Amino acid sequence: MKLSKSFRIALNIIAHSKIRSWLTIIGIIIGIAAIVSILSIGAGAQKTLEQNLNSLSADIITISPGFSRAMGAEAGFRGGGDIGGGPGISQGTSGSSSPKNLTTTDVTLLKGIANIAQIMGTVSGSTNSTYLGKTGKVSVDGVDPAVWRNIVTTDLKSGRYLSQGDTNVVVIGSRVANSTFNNIQVNQQITIGGQTFVIVGILKESGGSDDSRVFMPIKNAVNILEDKSSKNFDSIVVKVKNISQTDDTIAQITSKLMLSHGILQSSKVDFSVTSMKAMQESVSTTLNSMSIFLSAIAAISLIVGAIGIMNSTFTSVLEKTREIGILKAIGARNKDILAIFLFNSAIIGFIGGVLGISFGIIASGFISELAGTSTTGGMMGRFLSFTYVSPYLIIGVFLLSISVGLLSGAIPAYRASRLRPVDALRYE
Amino acid sequence: MEPVIKMKDVWKRYNMGKAGGLTVLKEINLDVKQGEFVAITGHSGSGKSTIMHLLGALDTPSYGNIYLKGKNVKELSEDSLALLRGKTIGFIFQQFNLLPTFSALDNVMIAMEIVNTPDKEARVKAMNLLILVGLGERAHHKPTELSGGEQQRVAIARALANDPEIIIADEPTGNLDSQTGKFVMDFLRSLNKKGKTIVFVTHELELAKYASRTIYVKDGKIEKEVYNKRRLK
Repeated sequence: MKLSKSFRIALNIIAHSKIRSWLTIIGIIIGIAAIVSILSIGAGAQKTLEQNLNSLSADIITISPGFSRAMGAEAGFRGGGDIGGGPGISQGTSGSSSPKNLTTTDVTLLKGIANIAQIMGTVSGSTNSTYLGKTGKVSVDGVDPAVWRNIVTTDLKSGRYLSQGDTNVVVIGSRVANSTFNNIQVNQQITIGGQTFVIVGILKESGGSDDSRVFMPIKNAVNILEDKSSKNFDSIVVKVKNISQTDDTIAQITSKLMLSHGILQSSKVDFSVTSMKAMQESVSTTLNSMSIFLSAIAAISLIVGAIGIMNSTFTSVLEKTREIGILKAIGARNKDILAIFLFNSAIIGFIGGVLGISFGIIASGFISELAGTSTTGGMMGRFLSFTYVSPYLIIGVFLLSISVGLLSGAIPAYRASRLRPVDALRYE
Repeated sequence: MEPVIKMKDVWKRYNMGKAGGLTVLKEINLDVKQGEFVAITGHSGSGKSTIMHLLGALDTPSYGNIYLKGKNVKELSEDSLALLRGKTIGFIFQQFNLLPTFSALDNVMIAMEIVNTPDKEARVKAMNLLILVGLGERAHHKPTELSGGEQQRVAIARALANDPEIIIADEPTGNLDSQTGKFVMDFLRSLNKKGKTIVFVTHELELAKYASRTIYVKDGKIEKEVYNKRRLK
């Protein structure tokens, strides 16, 4: 029998057992949709992370108050951009809750390390801003203008960077310019924290958190942000001369700061030192683990779907036993019967795959939409708000779906093919 | 002339597990020559249907050999057996055994498509066969939309699809009224006159009179063979 005929008979079997076939297909749809949505959200988060981290320089080391082994940067690095890519209007509270144990003394002390090219202390927080009657919160970074222009990695779209001696001027990120302030241009005035500032530069869109920040001289920032001082910093940002010596530089920084803070045991340090490279590896590993874990959960639903296909094919074989006998009596070979039932389960896998992929893309879009509009999602919400469905994912999952169909149909199809015609014909 | 069907010391025994075995055929020796019209008759449970299954290569003997057109069925591969069933033998069953989701036309076509006859050729030939059995206008009806007699006529058309040398029929009139039954038997006789070898199983002695030879089976053994000098014309 030609394969096309076996295929048509398989279609005929499915068409004449619609309810059972659809119930089986729904099982596959759920499994495939779960895998597609989880992997696309995972890929989107990975891509967002890479985009954000790529906007940072590998030669940057951040020192933050408080000790956080896992995410030192979370405590408040705001120099060359950080992970997250938050919205233009900050959701956080004014000022930092971290202990203010990084001081100008620390900065002066660290300047003695040979591999340090640039160093500055920064303050950061969020405050109200007003432009043309529109009020909202913006994230503000107070930086040393002379050092910041050597550390910032985002290019200018228009205007200039901050310069030494600047006062009451700001450089704003692209999202702040476009969304928060409705395409504001350089030389326009905005009110931030009750003071008027002139925009001297607008940064290009980077995909990183620079897009949603306002940079100003630290002396201005301490005036408009609550509980800030130009002698206590939310973070110290260091640019190294030689990247290959980063680990050694981190060790020196740690050693000097422990000495400066009077700490003798490394377990009691009141600061954290993080290099961008280490952070990238750490977050990437965490994201990968999360993706694998969630995919494993999704795979379980696919396994349940596969068992559904097997059950459905077994039922089909039982229902069609007499017809298998008829086909064999009129000349069908074992391989013809095998092909019919393999096609049967592959078609279920195919339809389940196509619909599952479609629903998975829709579901990931829906989750991303929800996360994007959520005001409580935090960093995870921002990651979930980007999904990426790669062509490889679609092709891979599609092939997986058909393979699952074929594999789960293989045993019942084989058993059907081995039925003796006389036994099949006697089956009631 | 070598017989087209030859059963040589054939035994059939079913294993019944702990209950032991059940021997349903013993020492069957039977030759059917080309163009013969043979009836196999006997009481229910005598083993006549088992003989038919063995003759049609739907089953294999526990002991002994069956030769179809000189080929020992036991020595044929699964594929060769399937080809033999598809091209050399046409089956007509008491229960009609049509594919319920297929139309009459498709039921006839499938027999040809299984042996790789091109679709167009199969369609034309199937339609002609349905016209031959008087069902040209019901070609697109499903079995459930046909009467028993019509279904059996579709089954006859299917049995003839690949122009087989041997027609094997198991109680072909068992589920039909007497008038339709007569039509079926007359049709088989006309096929026999055209040179087809026909072997049919029946428990009705009256129908056995259509055959040129009647094999009587009792308790799994051939009790006697009778050549019918006064066949029903």
